[in-house]
Amino acid sequence: MTEMTRRGLGRAAMAGAISTAAGAFPALAQGSNPIRIGYAMSLSGGLAANGRSSLLAHRIWAEDVNARGGLMGRPVQIVSYDDQSNPANVPSLYTKLIDVDKVDIVTSPYATAMIAPSMPVIMQRGMTYVSLFGAGVNEKLRYDRYFSMNVTGDDIKGTYARGFLECTKMLPTPPRTISILAVDNDFAQRAAESVRSMSREYGLRIVYDRSYPPTTVDFTPTIRAIQAARPDVVFFASYPPDSNGILRAVSELKLTAALFGGGMVGPQIAAVQAQLGPILNNLVNWDVYSPEPTMKFPGVEAFQEKYRARAPQEQTDVLGNYLQPYAYAQMQVVEQAVNRARSLDQAALAADMKANPFSTIVGDVKFGNLGEWATPRNLFVQFQNITDGDLEKYKRPGTKVILYPPELKSGTLRTPYGAPA
Amino acid sequence: MSATALPAPAVAGERRHLSYWLGATAVAVALAVALRLLGNEYGWYAGYFVLQYVVLAAAWNILGGYAGYVNFGAAGFMAAGSYTAIVLYESMGLGVIPGILGGAVVAGLLGLGTGYLTLRLRGVYFSIATLCLAVVLQTLIVNWDYVGGSRGAYIIRPMTVPGFASYGEYIFIVMLVLAVLAVGIGRTVEMSRLGTGLQAIRDNERAAEAVGVPTLRLKLIACTLSGALMGVAGAPLPFYAGYINPEGAFNLAYAVNSIAMPLIGGAGTWLGPVIGAVLLATLQQAATVTISSALNLWIVGWMLVIFVALFPRGIIGWFRNR
Repeated sequence: MTEMTRRGLGRAAMAGAISTAAGAFPALAQGSNPIRIGYAMSLSGGLAANGRSSLLAHRIWAEDVNARGGLMGRPVQIVSYDDQSNPANVPSLYTKLIDVDKVDIVTSPYATAMIAPSMPVIMQRGMTYVSLFGAGVNEKLRYDRYFSMNVTGDDIKGTYARGFLECTKMLPTPPRTISILAVDNDFAQRAAESVRSMSREYGLRIVYDRSYPPTTVDFTPTIRAIQAARPDVVFFASYPPDSNGILRAVSELKLTAALFGGGMVGPQIAAVQAQLGPILNNLVNWDVYSPEPTMKFPGVEAFQEKYRARAPQEQTDVLGNYLQPYAYAQMQVVEQAVNRARSLDQAALAADMKANPFSTIVGDVKFGNLGEWATPRNLFVQFQNITDGDLEKYKRPGTKVILYPPELKSGTLRTPYGAPA
Repeated sequence: MSATALPAPAVAGERRHLSYWLGATAVAVALAVALRLLGNEYGWYAGYFVLQYVVLAAAWNILGGYAGYVNFGAAGFMAAGSYTAIVLYESMGLGVIPGILGGAVVAGLLGLGTGYLTLRLRGVYFSIATLCLAVVLQTLIVNWDYVGGSRGAYIIRPMTVPGFASYGEYIFIVMLVLAVLAVGIGRTVEMSRLGTGLQAIRDNERAAEAVGVPTLRLKLIACTLSGALMGVAGAPLPFYAGYINPEGAFNLAYAVNSIAMPLIGGAGTWLGPVIGAVLLATLQQAATVTISSALNLWIVGWMLVIFVALFPRGIIGWFRNR
């Protein structure tokens, strides 16, 4: 009797599984008219903050394009799924987009860890692919239809920290020593490798060089160790939760340095800026956008106005001063390629992207051999004139002053980084 | 019990095993044919996602379901399999099948070592120790540049595999075979003296020991077997995704799902983890592409709460109690 029940249950379970699986293949209304652009994006999990704001930027782009009459006279429709910040979810979502939803164009999720797992599917289908803020994804794969919307270029080690180290030349006294602290993740380790390899060129002796696990919450011992090494220049490469912890520990322990900052991800985000307030003063940090007069590219202010009007209700970054303009520009690349090629043929789109520059709200973009920006544009900005956590000032020039690259420079270096607390 | 009655259960047991293997093979073939007829690459990928959880849940069930030792470190064992496959790929260019075999060996040895060091702990202390194992392994991988460290590792997988329509189909078939094997192993354990011994340990370990059940030895076997199967579940992952990084390999979702799925299906039975994994993983996959992610996670959380509160013995237990 028990056996019979089990068999019956097995059959019932199998039937249930098949019927539930069938639910995952909905008969989608594949209207032939709209051009469907599909991608996965992190709307929950660790990458959700940037993922959600990228999605908002994409929606704004789609509305703008549709208001102008669409692409090749067809309206644009965005199809997106949440990858839950889990790389294992990405391959199936991209096969769903391509095979079931039959999207015409695919673009990438946000960040290297999510872009990389999508690549085998993309390569297998020969899709042209514009990624968002991936670092070195195509180094090994060398896919000839990959294009990256990221300022870092294809030689992060040789270029990333150049701007920060160039700032040492702006100091009244040439510094002699540097400390390096980096979190154990892809981007930060590449950043640390870059500053490590170039320090000697700038006459800097490395007196402290450590990594820390992403789970670290107490930075007091680390900052004390850096303090004991007495570096003239302090370079951090960290991610949002750690950047907060590091800067608070620095403030409490009153660590000072002639040049202080590096590749901290976090101070670019509005919520972090509001929390840290004057602790950010004189921090020299990697960035991608600042509302300085030298970066007033056509269209960026209009985009930010729309973005900021909707950000609070969408519960995303309220300023849109970080990757949001780049997410919009990612879609502008697609738009201009389609309009020039007058086709959705993937080979034609890739050929256009390789051959032509793009005029976007983050400036003119030209892709190099590996699909990265032909000319990297790592900004190094200094936070100045901050007295509190009010975010209004971040909408105006003079708060994130650009020190590097020279063609975008908008102010002068203030030194040292002190202890405002 | 008379001596003449003894051979009968053995023959019946063999028949039951044979019926399982034939039935499971038939279901597997039917599934593969159905998906091929569907002619949709997404079916392979979504199917892989579900089947990896079938293997993982069946593996967890051997130690957690039968012996009652709750393993929170499933992600660690799974990642051991994934990274063994990466090492074999990087060092010798080996593909997914050698990766699975290597992953089984390494994760099995890891299970044996972990068991030897921790099985004298019981209850929540054992669970905490397995959780620590995953953290230690992640730290090791993050600092091991050869397997990509924190950056992650890429596998450039072949575009096609002879005899298969695509690599997606191939990796699905591989995982399908693994799922049949893993469930079959779990079923064999349940019906063997090992399973009986493990159930005795779960009910009362001291009493089992008092009546002569070799508790430590059985637990070590279960730990090794469970670890090896978790490694098997993880080994194809880098070939499926083409990339793996520590955050993905040690994702908390694997640990949570490997516990939730047997609990919902019915822990301590071979069919329970299969039902739980198919139900929960299919629901997760379907919810991911149909409704919002927040609601998806909400549903999974509530399912776990409802089943633990109302059906503590899972779906199988509920059917048996009717």
